[in-house]
Amino acid sequence: MAAGTALAQPKGKKAPAKGAPPKTAPAKGSDDAGEIELDDKGGASVGSGAGTPNGAPATGASAGSNDVNPDEIDMGEPEQQQGNLNADLNAANQANAVKAGPVKKTPVSWKDITVVVRKPFLKSRRTELFPFVGATMNDNIIRHYSYGGELAYYLTDVLAVGVEGQGFVHSFREPFDLIARQARRLPTVNQYNWSAALDFHYVPVYGKFAILDHKLITWESFFTAGIGVGQSEVIPRDTKFPGFTNLLIQPNVGVAMRFFLTRWLTVNLGFRDYIFFDHFEPQNRSDTNFATAADAKAHADGSLINNVMFQIGVSFWIPTTFEYTTFR
Amino acid sequence: MKNHTLLLAMVGVLAVGAIPAHAEPRQNSLAGDVAVRHRRLLVKRRFEVTPLFESTVNADFRHIIGGGLKIEYHLSDMWSIGAVGVASTAINTALVNKILPSLEKTTDNATREPSQTEFKDHLNSMPLHGAAYLSFTPWYGKLAAFGQAFVAFDFYFQAGVAFAQLKSNCPTTVCSDKNPGGSTQGAGGDTIPADNNPNNDDPLNNGSRVGLYLGGGIHVFLNDFLALDLTVRDYAFTDNPSGADFNADLFVSKADNRFLHHLFFGLGLSIMLPTTVKRTP
Repeated sequence: MAAGTALAQPKGKKAPAKGAPPKTAPAKGSDDAGEIELDDKGGASVGSGAGTPNGAPATGASAGSNDVNPDEIDMGEPEQQQGNLNADLNAANQANAVKAGPVKKTPVSWKDITVVVRKPFLKSRRTELFPFVGATMNDNIIRHYSYGGELAYYLTDVLAVGVEGQGFVHSFREPFDLIARQARRLPTVNQYNWSAALDFHYVPVYGKFAILDHKLITWESFFTAGIGVGQSEVIPRDTKFPGFTNLLIQPNVGVAMRFFLTRWLTVNLGFRDYIFFDHFEPQNRSDTNFATAADAKAHADGSLINNVMFQIGVSFWIPTTFEYTTFR
Repeated sequence: MKNHTLLLAMVGVLAVGAIPAHAEPRQNSLAGDVAVRHRRLLVKRRFEVTPLFESTVNADFRHIIGGGLKIEYHLSDMWSIGAVGVASTAINTALVNKILPSLEKTTDNATREPSQTEFKDHLNSMPLHGAAYLSFTPWYGKLAAFGQAFVAFDFYFQAGVAFAQLKSNCPTTVCSDKNPGGSTQGAGGDTIPADNNPNNDDPLNNGSRVGLYLGGGIHVFLNDFLALDLTVRDYAFTDNPSGADFNADLFVSKADNRFLHHLFFGLGLSIMLPTTVKRTP
């Protein structure tokens, strides 16, 4: 029966009660020694018999918590919370000024609280190191491949600020040659050299899915908005003329998904639209017309560009682990 | 004697240590369980009827935009068979709109340059296309959006047979070469050699095509019987969208066709029939 009192007693100072019997002595008259019993109406009352000087079982509510021997019990955190919950419940009842007859208490315990599954991955106050590669999605003349990285710090679990940088290489797509051969026209194209940006991320969507009805994977989707700079360079139609570079102001917006593999590793993939006003080589360039780079740049044709890129990479999270601050 | 006792004791200790532990490894009782209990079977043994909109992604010469219908029957949670058909119209891409004004307005055979009419009339369109396919749905799950909306979703992948009806309309006044790449008989019976001008050849890029279909997409379930259907589809078949000389042999022939991927993005609203769903145990 002594065991029964252990679970019901708040953890606190272990001052032995007066007249406490030896720890090993079972309470006289107790026929359910060793059985664990939980009672939300003041757990101490249940096993209070153990604390009586003569070992006689206490009955009902007449046995107060003062009779409990704290030396015999190991008190855990949940029980402390249980006591608080009862105190709150009693306070609420006392605050009710109108009492019309006997009040029936509804037993409340932590068992009644619905368990909500915790997020398996916390990002708050963690840093994400995200190396990635990308490819242009919406240019049918030239395709840029990018390599870069982003360093992002999560202020909360859904909001982050980061800096990114990337370099580019390019290849020409089929129409680049086709237009030259079939329509006798040389396309005017720019290549991108590098870009950098300050980004903000917001995570409004998270979820989980089962793969082949077996393994659960958690994921989330996030939006990105940022502002940055970049450099483009004119690819001269006639290689005897020099090209020139442009410094670009590049806002960007994007949407991406993140799949959680471990506590410190995720896979990210998404789309980003880099928006900028680019300057292209002027038409009718010749030995006498816009021959120099400065002259060509001064008479460049401008156009608003949406460079939509698909990006994929692996994120490393620092610190590599995290601790929950709430109960499971 | 003392040494023997020590030796026996050592052997005994070693023997005890060598005895393999037969304790049963602790196993999670959920180890053999399914990933999700009481799961709503949102697709199993249901018909899916999806009115949809489809558009090409990053087309070279003409965007193909149209509407159609997808009909699918889900044999199980993961496997389904279906067909999709789309009727479309064609819109010139920005590339074509840039090239066209720069071309000569009237035909000049002295140049290798096509006229505006020649260039435009060689391009083809795709008034009808579709596919019959087998679909595999390996992923399903649920998501929370803005902490408010909780919806189910699944990812699927499809493979099958693609078909397309291509159309080009080059009148004989423009595509006037009766024997592209070959000599012709003149009015006086003399032989006229090949003109080496692909701009007046028939584009040969119309008719029916059969090829490979690949697709992947996501259902986002709005309720038990309605779902948003977002899909990327690749209809791959032989085509020559520009209708011009691709292999640089100075005339247009079937050899200028090549196996091309036609990438489409589709958006549809799936209606699941019957409208009620069952649950797993």
